[in-house]
Amino acid sequence: MARPKGGYNIGIAGKPSLRTVDLPVPSRLVLSLVSRCFRFSDIRVEEGARVSAGTVLAIDPVRFSAQLIAAYGGTVRLGRVADHIVIELIDGASPGRPSGSDGAAQAGARGGSMGAGVADGSPADVRNRLVALGAWQFITDARTGLPMDPAGTANDIIVSTIHLEPFVASAEALLDGRLDSFVRGLEQLHELTEGGTIHVAVADGAGFAKELAALVAQHSWCRLHTVTARYPLGHPLLVLRALGLGRGPERPVWAIGTAGVLAIEGALSSGAPCVERIIALGGPAVSEPIHLRAVVGYPIDEILRNRLCSDDVRVVNGGILTGSDVSPERSGLDVECEGLTVLGELRKRHMLAFAMPGLSRSSYGRTFVSGLCPGGPPESLNTTLAGELRACVSCGQCIDVCPVGILPSVIHKFLHADEIDEVERMRVDLCIECGLCSYVCPSKIELLSDMRDARRLIREEHEAQKKMELKAKLEEEKRVAAKEALAAEDGLAAREALAAEEEAGA
Amino acid sequence: MKLILTLLDKTRPLFQKGGRFTALKPIYDAADVFLFSPLARTSRAPHVRDPLDTKRYMSTVIIAVAPCLLAAVHFFGLRVLAMVLVSYAAGGAVEVLLAVFKKDEISEGFLVTGILFPLILPPGLPLWMVALGSAFGVLVGKELFGGTGRNLFNPALIGRVFLALSYPKAMSSGWIEPGQGLVGRLLEYATDAVTMATPLAAAKSGTWAALPDLFFGNVTGSVGETSALAVLMGGAFLLIIGIANWRTVAAMLGTFVIVTAGIYGGDPHAIIWHLLSGGLLFGAFFMATDPVSSPIMNSAKWVYGAIIGIATALIRNFTGYVEGVMFAILLGNIFAPVLDELFVTAHVRRLREEG
Ligand code: SF4
Ligand code: SF4
Repeated sequence: MARPKGGYNIGIAGKPSLRTVDLPVPSRLVLSLVSRCFRFSDIRVEEGARVSAGTVLAIDPVRFSAQLIAAYGGTVRLGRVADHIVIELIDGASPGRPSGSDGAAQAGARGGSMGAGVADGSPADVRNRLVALGAWQFITDARTGLPMDPAGTANDIIVSTIHLEPFVASAEALLDGRLDSFVRGLEQLHELTEGGTIHVAVADGAGFAKELAALVAQHSWCRLHTVTARYPLGHPLLVLRALGLGRGPERPVWAIGTAGVLAIEGALSSGAPCVERIIALGGPAVSEPIHLRAVVGYPIDEILRNRLCSDDVRVVNGGILTGSDVSPERSGLDVECEGLTVLGELRKRHMLAFAMPGLSRSSYGRTFVSGLCPGGPPESLNTTLAGELRACVSCGQCIDVCPVGILPSVIHKFLHADEIDEVERMRVDLCIECGLCSYVCPSKIELLSDMRDARRLIREEHEAQKKMELKAKLEEEKRVAAKEALAAEDGLAAREALAAEEEAGA
Repeated sequence: MKLILTLLDKTRPLFQKGGRFTALKPIYDAADVFLFSPLARTSRAPHVRDPLDTKRYMSTVIIAVAPCLLAAVHFFGLRVLAMVLVSYAAGGAVEVLLAVFKKDEISEGFLVTGILFPLILPPGLPLWMVALGSAFGVLVGKELFGGTGRNLFNPALIGRVFLALSYPKAMSSGWIEPGQGLVGRLLEYATDAVTMATPLAAAKSGTWAALPDLFFGNVTGSVGETSALAVLMGGAFLLIIGIANWRTVAAMLGTFVIVTAGIYGGDPHAIIWHLLSGGLLFGAFFMATDPVSSPIMNSAKWVYGAIIGIATALIRNFTGYVEGVMFAILLGNIFAPVLDELFVTAHVRRLREEG
């Protein structure tokens, strides 16, 4: 691959160790109906109902009927927490499997709307089974990042094992002792696509790289690609572009992460619904940053109990660059959760902070003393904006750091001058919303929000335009039809006249 | 420290909406966040931000010019400090008044302009002219364009051009003979300004200053630019910490050397002499690298630097002006938006081809 540009690894304290801890059965489940990609708006259970583990609680009617599945049995509470289903009085069966029964059979039979009706083992059947087991959601469209429709298949799959955003579950932790399952998962994916090529992106220097290479050596359909271990260079879209698979929308490309491959393998091998996640618990405010094995809906306050070094914290669902903050009492792990990052809130002011030499700051540039000798200890960054909002000083850091090579500062200026056409010309569509531009900006400009706004505006404009075109086309069609009808009538009249003449002639 | 913080907290309501000094809020805010890091927190992703802010960004330039300032005090007397103070006071007053008037925040950009401006003036210039030029630079050079970040030209250069056009005599005769020896003029306020030729002017009539004098700064000239050594020290600092873009500097000095070599038939003495004399180095490290008035793309900075370097060499040798750096940089500033348009367009076209 070509020399990658941009990207940056933030030196923030609290990197989770590889140790993975199993969490006990929770006192309740708090299942979010909304996650980054999914809206489980079609609720399938009643208030007060007793459900068993594996029950489908709700469905996303828009995204291929993706399912929200109860990891444990218990009593359903609707409306207790807005946009969540709460399950109380948990019965302690093993996650995803109803007590005293054969989980696989149950879950299979419970397949939900898509149904795993006829189990003929064809790829389409397997895809449906994955949907029913809640494991299909890990497969996204590499180009859009949105969940893939299970109706189709792909020629290429990008498997990215590079998860460097601080902090989400790392591939090392996920694959620890599970490399065999991972490879089996790759084989299953290969079958699923009826012979598609699988591109596995592995971070340069990843501990498992050699072993993995040996395990897939006999598979000609599986190619390993080494990518510089720098956030976000392992992003599927960047891998896709680097491999030159980006052209031509006629070739669908799937993207999936390490956890997804393991989930698919787990679901297909055991037949049990996929309700467990391994998540990272990291950040400067976590006393012992580790990985956790927990079920979807596990209450966040119970996860954090006795694990923080301060009460005054911000809990971020996902990494600090792209995640969203959550209130621990009112939320549980959502279906897409890969990690929780906990930051101390800023409460203290420091005298003449900007003028300090900065012996232990980790900064993208080199204006702090520690910047001159990189590789120092990570910094306990908190939620400070670290400055005030100012006009862009054209320092160029955002351009430097952007992994897709667009010009965030220029887009920012055009956006705020309402020149949407120019924004579009600047290729804001290439942005992968990694958040680094906002992170490095010394003027503290919310560039990531700008990029998102710009993309939304352009999308809306295109939709409006399409609608207009469609309307115009319909009208045009109508007009043509009317004309044709008229012409046909004319033709009829003319033929009749001709016939009459002929008759008269005869 | 606690005391100041309490004081700030106690007086805050006076400046808030409805307080007695609401109009002065920008001043209060500036002092407040200058003394103590602000409490502003992130409100959305990314939830943490890089520790670098504009204050630190701008103050690195002040650190970088410190050697020049010290050298200037050594050669031209304590008057230099008075010039810096006057420049800060006058320009700062304009900045503050405008901020109060526009109910805007006071931007840190002035920290840089305020100190660079006196350094490019003749050391014997009357203080009121320093004040006028500084105020003009901020008002016209920056605020008329919409404030820091939107100015087309380097505000300090605008101030200097204004003075050069309005008071040509004072601007070409306000020289001070550099102090000699170890102490120099460190203990003097100033001596009378004299009408004497700067090395570049003298060279036109055939007298070439000695290279060591040029290198250490023992010559007449503008306040901050006479000592090549001091400029190089500050410039190296800016390059190392990455605030000045090395491409601009390299392109400007590189092309200057090439053109000068062409003019003098490759005579190494003439090349080095020209490199060290006048405001060339100061302009290359401190003025041309101003990010706001430079083009954005790194590739464009090469061309930008080259335009300035070539223009300087040509102006110096083929026009009536003895010093060409100032006009060359302003010329570069004019070209910057054009370069941006060209290079940005080419860049996004390449993106389209990529994917
Ligand atoms: S513009 Fe998009 S891709 Fe580039 S740094 Fe910003 S968020 Fe990341
Ligand atoms: S990082 Fe911020 S200040 Fe620097 S060029 Fe980008 S938008 Fe402007």
